[in-house]
Amino acid sequence: MQSPRQSRLGAAILLAVAVLAVLLPWIVQDSYFIHTVIMVLYFAYMATAWNFVCGYVGQLSLGHSVFSGVAGYVTVLLFIQTGLSPWLGMLAGGAVAALLAVAIGFPTFRLKGPYFTLTTIAFAEILRIWFENTDTFLGIPLKGAEGLVVPLIGDSWAAFQFNGKTAYYYIVLAMLALAMAATAWMERSRLGYYLKAIRGDSDAAESLGVSPTRYSLIALCISAFMTGIGGAFFAQFFRYINPERNMGIDLSIDMAVMAIVGGQGTVFGPALGALLLHPVAEVMRSWFGGGVLGLHLVVYGVVLILAVTYLPKGIIDPLSRLIGRGRKRKEQP
Amino acid sequence: MTAAPLLQVRSISKRFGGVQAVSDLSFELRRGEILGLLGPNGAGKTTAFNMVAGAIAPDTGEIVFEGQPITGLRPAQICRRGIGRTFQLSKPFGSLSVLENVMVGGFARSRDRRAIRREAEAILDFLGMGELAHADANDVTAFDRRKLELGRALATQPKLLLMDEVVAGATPSEAQEMVGLVRRVRERGVTILIVEHVMKVIMGLSDRVIVLDYGKLIADGVPAEVVAQPDVLKAYFGERYAGARA
Repeated sequence: MQSPRQSRLGAAILLAVAVLAVLLPWIVQDSYFIHTVIMVLYFAYMATAWNFVCGYVGQLSLGHSVFSGVAGYVTVLLFIQTGLSPWLGMLAGGAVAALLAVAIGFPTFRLKGPYFTLTTIAFAEILRIWFENTDTFLGIPLKGAEGLVVPLIGDSWAAFQFNGKTAYYYIVLAMLALAMAATAWMERSRLGYYLKAIRGDSDAAESLGVSPTRYSLIALCISAFMTGIGGAFFAQFFRYINPERNMGIDLSIDMAVMAIVGGQGTVFGPALGALLLHPVAEVMRSWFGGGVLGLHLVVYGVVLILAVTYLPKGIIDPLSRLIGRGRKRKEQP
Repeated sequence: MTAAPLLQVRSISKRFGGVQAVSDLSFELRRGEILGLLGPNGAGKTTAFNMVAGAIAPDTGEIVFEGQPITGLRPAQICRRGIGRTFQLSKPFGSLSVLENVMVGGFARSRDRRAIRREAEAILDFLGMGELAHADANDVTAFDRRKLELGRALATQPKLLLMDEVVAGATPSEAQEMVGLVRRVRERGVTILIVEHVMKVIMGLSDRVIVLDYGKLIADGVPAEVVAQPDVLKAYFGERYAGARA
């Protein structure tokens, strides 16, 4: 059992981080810095969304970007074509992503290990290639690889467009907080127990009344919805969407690697992974410019190998032992 | 008047490629009894067991539980009907504690987490594993894993419990402890079908045994009588041994 002192320490750290996060735009006003922090939070959110299913059920999806891309396109197209507020558009996009998750997950969750992973890559790549090569679909312009620009409205809540970056910062911060809260809730619910049971031994889980396909699918739908909301945010933040950035395999790899390095199957691990890895990628990019494309992926590879070898439960594992929270935390009545 | 049997297996068969694993097998389980399923290696015991548990669908025949056909249902549905099972090789759910492992079974009957937790604690006490409740399920001994598996199955509140090789690899004192536990599970009103290699265990435990050989039922009766039947001796020890005894 954890001591009350340890749990107070954990709560204090959490509170300090939350206060710092809320006050950050007042403390540092440098635009590039805020931009980078927004990207860190965005990746933390996306890795958390990926973790919601993959981290708990123990299957490696490298096709999650498809949910981001499809939901992003739905949001942007609804805004361009019908003027629907992106706030509603992103919910619609998330819903479409969740439906797509059923279509993809139903056949693929019967597969295990590398077969599952390969199938998720194939689904995502097929859709990306289709988007890149489709100029109009049913009379709606998609503009292929060129992508779509979100028309500039100006500072407007309804249009999800803001002068300066502070509003985007708070939006993505709130999204991350909600995603983490959803993960923490799931861990303590029947769904969390079931997903861990499926990861442990799928046949044994089934004999205890758990339908592995059904509960994996429920979690995948929620994960796809969250990923979709993230994709819509990304499109709104840059006022631009294209198949490569919003649904390319790079994004899928980012989500998975950050979650795995940080600690999959935990509430805080994926965000920690993003916090450590995104700045590394940023620094690589600014040091080497466009000179060595994909260098950050090399670094990812090295970090992933080190993490899987020395910290298979992620960087969060030794930290949570230290403060007596996280994985070792015991069930509270 | 006798009560209707809890489980009726009516001429089930299963073929794997060229091997007829189980052919035309019928038997019944009465409420509250412990039935031993015996047979030499490859006799089709595990196949028969898995068909009742829903892990394998029979090619032909019918399985009826509490008067309802359950043939071809998935294991998760079979569990909800009230049949629990254990596995020969069990893996605990590693990222959960011992207590949480048992709670997984409880969610099949209820969504009230507190009630499930209390029930799981009671089951661990019953198994003599109360001390281990908060241990990581991966860190317990092989025999405790086996008991943990029994606990998970009990948490689903089965009316019928299917047990596969419960004392395999156990020391004599552990085997004795397991035999005691199985008896006490039955005292809780659970009917038990047990597949076992260790003759001594199954003879002492079962009210009745059935014997499979080459997928066919060759004997059905009280343990002491069944082991004296020439067919059974032949199946276990070969033609000459049975002949010498006769």
